[in-house]
Amino acid sequence: MEPLTVPGMLPALEEIGRYVMAAAAEAGLDKRASYRLRLAVDEIATNIVVYGYQPSGTEGDIIVSSTIDDHVLKIALEDTGPEFDPRQHAMPDEDELTRPLEDRQMGGLGVYLAFEGVDDFHYERVDGRNRNIFVVNRPSAAPAT
Amino acid sequence: MAFTATSDVTNGIGKITLAGELDAAAAPTFRTEVEKVAAEQPRRLVLMMQDLEYMASAGLRVLIYARQRMAQNVDIFVVGAQEPIRETLEKTGFHHSVTQLETYDPAVIENT
Repeated sequence: MEPLTVPGMLPALEEIGRYVMAAAAEAGLDKRASYRLRLAVDEIATNIVVYGYQPSGTEGDIIVSSTIDDHVLKIALEDTGPEFDPRQHAMPDEDELTRPLEDRQMGGLGVYLAFEGVDDFHYERVDGRNRNIFVVNRPSAAPAT
Repeated sequence: MAFTATSDVTNGIGKITLAGELDAAAAPTFRTEVEKVAAEQPRRLVLMMQDLEYMASAGLRVLIYARQRMAQNVDIFVVGAQEPIRETLEKTGFHHSVTQLETYDPAVIENT
């Protein structure tokens, strides 16, 4: 699929979601794997806007791209916001995840769901851009595209 | 699909019906309905999710907000959540703090 460029703002999340679901269909992912991937990408795209572009007061785009080979689907998100590696973000631990909601903190759930939703996740900072890469294994029976 | 949230409070049962896709852009709409229902001090909060197709962590944060905004004795019910949303609730441990039902069951919700 051709890469998609959208403004780094929350209303663009819907279009990013549609792009990811289309790529997941092309890669032959089942409904559950597609949903989990969409959720993963959506959570990181949200963070790009909320922790990247918004606090720094900068405007920029998010570029979504996908590649499919015989084994995996890769989705990449690129942005020009401040350097932000989601892997450094504090994640809820087992204690936090079993705590009643009245005692919960708000943070970290998105990144947790993102990492849980894919088979592999990479982050790199290249030429002033953040690049988040989501990797999902394709079902072995899926035909090569 | 665009997100919608509608609410009403009848006989102390606060009901919010969610439909479409609940991402970070849509979450403030959900939160507004939680605030409206909380202002009426219901004895139950019921989230109707049959037509909710997607929920990101922004929706979970509104659930935390709802729990913290309502009195401690207000039980929260999630009705008809689709499989992937149930999976999200379970993965994040939210199922310990809400009661999940397949359909709206007045005997359980209104009389407990």
